[in-house]
Amino acid sequence: MSKSLASRWVILVFTGAIAATTSAQTPPARDLTEFSLEDLMNIHVTSVSKKEQKLAKTGAAIFVITQEDIRRSGSTNIPDLLRMVPGVDVARVDHSNWAVSIRGFNSVYANKVLVLIDGRSVYHPAFSGVLWFAQDVPLEDIERIEVIRGPGGTVWGANAMNGVINIIMKSAQATPGGLLTAGGGTNQQGEGLLQYGGTAGVSGDYRIFSRYSHQGKSDPVDADQPADARGLGQVGFRSDWRLSARDLLTVQGEYRRVDGGETLSGVLPQTLSAMGTYTQPIGDDGGNILARWTHTLVNGSDVSLQAYFDKSDTFAAGAHDFTSIGNIDFQHHLSFGSRNDVVWGLSYRGAANRFSGNNVVTLHPVDRTDSLYSAFVQDEITLTKTLSLTVGAKFEHNAYTGYENEPSAQLVWAANSRNTVWVSAAKAIRQPSPIDNGLEIVSALVPLPQGALGLVTVFGNPNTKVEELRDFEAGYRAQVNRRLSVDVTSFLSFYRNLETTEPQTPFFALTPGPPHLVIPLLFENLANARNYGAEAFANWNVTDRWKLSPGLTLLDMSVTRDASSQDAVIEQLPGYAPRRSFQVRSFVDLGRTFEWDQTIGYTGPLAVGNIPGYVRLDTRVGWRMGEFTEVSIVGQNLLRPRHAEFPDSQLIDYMLDQRSIFGKLTWRF
Amino acid sequence: MTRILSLILQLGAAFELCAQATVPGAGFDEYQVKAAFLYNFAKFVEWPPGTFASPSDPIGICIAGVNPFGSMLDTMVQGKKMGERVFLVRRMPDTQEAKGCQILFIGGTEWKTVHALLDALKGAAILTVGETEDFTAAGGMIAFQLAGPRVRIQIDLETAEHSRLKISSKLLSLAQIVKRQP
Repeated sequence: MSKSLASRWVILVFTGAIAATTSAQTPPARDLTEFSLEDLMNIHVTSVSKKEQKLAKTGAAIFVITQEDIRRSGSTNIPDLLRMVPGVDVARVDHSNWAVSIRGFNSVYANKVLVLIDGRSVYHPAFSGVLWFAQDVPLEDIERIEVIRGPGGTVWGANAMNGVINIIMKSAQATPGGLLTAGGGTNQQGEGLLQYGGTAGVSGDYRIFSRYSHQGKSDPVDADQPADARGLGQVGFRSDWRLSARDLLTVQGEYRRVDGGETLSGVLPQTLSAMGTYTQPIGDDGGNILARWTHTLVNGSDVSLQAYFDKSDTFAAGAHDFTSIGNIDFQHHLSFGSRNDVVWGLSYRGAANRFSGNNVVTLHPVDRTDSLYSAFVQDEITLTKTLSLTVGAKFEHNAYTGYENEPSAQLVWAANSRNTVWVSAAKAIRQPSPIDNGLEIVSALVPLPQGALGLVTVFGNPNTKVEELRDFEAGYRAQVNRRLSVDVTSFLSFYRNLETTEPQTPFFALTPGPPHLVIPLLFENLANARNYGAEAFANWNVTDRWKLSPGLTLLDMSVTRDASSQDAVIEQLPGYAPRRSFQVRSFVDLGRTFEWDQTIGYTGPLAVGNIPGYVRLDTRVGWRMGEFTEVSIVGQNLLRPRHAEFPDSQLIDYMLDQRSIFGKLTWRF
Repeated sequence: MTRILSLILQLGAAFELCAQATVPGAGFDEYQVKAAFLYNFAKFVEWPPGTFASPSDPIGICIAGVNPFGSMLDTMVQGKKMGERVFLVRRMPDTQEAKGCQILFIGGTEWKTVHALLDALKGAAILTVGETEDFTAAGGMIAFQLAGPRVRIQIDLETAEHSRLKISSKLLSLAQIVKRQP
């Protein structure tokens, strides 16, 4: 499968390149500098800038993390950056693992949020979720991160259920020259980036980079425990080719190796005859290559064709999963008459997984290849000068439940250039993964009379269903004056067919381990949830040198199981999400060369695991030494030596996020 | 899979044909045109005395944040001169450092930071050019606006004068002049 996917990918890239090169010869290169102002005003142009500005008038709860936000946050990883986004729930589990979700349902394997890095989905098909320890990019090369809270199924498809985190990297043109960064501190013990960008011929730009980072283990007192240190090595490139004024080809690739670890308490995998504490490595060894061709048609519409191939060996939860993914997306954006702005697209995704587990965890079947076909169409209809309606739907065919659809509608009233009010309704799904379908995992050991052994084992269900969300939102966005902007969103969400674990009739088994009674729990879809909440944020330029960005998150979750369900813990799900949290970020420019930035934030308590609420204080001092050099010192969690952020779900012994300092030197050449 | 693939490619080819069929003349990329405007502005704007140390100092065209021009702007001004002055195109990816910039372009991608950037440059003798919707209201001097397929210009004369920039009547006659609310 992977080989054939690879060869198809290569064919596709070449076809795209040939097509692009052919069309590159058509437009005449006229020197516009010889045109008069009047001439320039009468030229017909094809527009791309409109799309960007739409963000301010979009009918969805969107938050954009800019490069300036990233630089001034002092963060060294993506999850830490996401803490600034209201509605996103970020909890550090240990120094390798993170739990990141949007609007509840958080877990190390949180499965209701889709994450894209430059158009490539990093939602792991076998582990059913985003493994944050494996995701890393040079933070300096991020152009922006768009976080959309709420369903994004119509455009992004299944698993974009509670939201989408879209990490968009800078083009190669935006990163010319050399960049060297070196840093070190108490938690993030060492990191470095070496990058060089240049031009290739008259129309091409490229950059290449290599990175290293090492995170020490979370508890330096005990020599061995926990085994959660994490190391990363990464190399990559990006090249952008302006094949003509209307054709842009991007080719990029990366290879990375992540070695982390975790300390768990559970049934010992070697013997299956006792509970205990043990350590196991987690990590990721893989790479990907992506090509994207964007062609702007003279009538102002544009088409894009993107293909990527992603291959990785991911080890987590004691198992290896060898994954090969081939993905092709086609999108066409056009204006239809004077009132319709249409985007439609087709995509195909093939994912081949080979799972290699141990006595505690395995998958049935261990080898599988799944195909996902989808088509979507979305139309933004201008009803009046200030009112627009966007309707759309995605149609998907997945290997587990067949055809699914994800419709949505948004009504936006841009009363004037400063005020926007919107309402939306959408349906989204989480489609089953190999885990939902064929997992077998020993979760606990129960001593039985006469020395017999009982193993509580969770089984996947071949008849698993999609989890469904029906979501209703309303929002208001205002540029109050030139110094203050405000954004408020509220939502009401109804979930159906949430996955539960249901007890079944016990049976005896002779292997693996000693003869034992299997106490089975089977995945079924027998719970519902009703969530509501609100998120708000503002940007206030208090003075020319001082900016404040407050944010607020409120969430109320209520999970109920069907009468037929015997799941003892599903109704505790709300206990994994803080009911309220807020934060204020402050950015101060001291003179022309110094920056002093802080974030103070409160996160509410978690009922599960009795995790108390906590206050974080991070601070950063940056010093620009001339045009090319910058030095910064960052202190994180300054108020307390350490605090817990997440309960030990998934058996991982939760460790504590601790006070740390970090220094970094950035040199551009 | 193969069928889907060929379908996608055929569709792509079909659109290519459609596009060529519907509009016979070659259109220009929006940013190609905007780049030409930037170059032209240099001819119609007079900077206050003392802006340039010598008559041969280059005219700096700077781009804040993401560069939407690719290499188009560089290619366009290459070898061009205004008197003895050559043009120098510079990117300001992260910094607000605007030394040596006579014209600063702030693209649509910077809609979130545009206010802060313009506030920081208030009173500086830099011609600020943008394309976000409320660019002049935010304190910018020249805003590109799209009227259907055409690029239009909006000028806030008051802001320009406050920065001691003189804009020629020729340019003003072609632009829409905005008045700030008192």
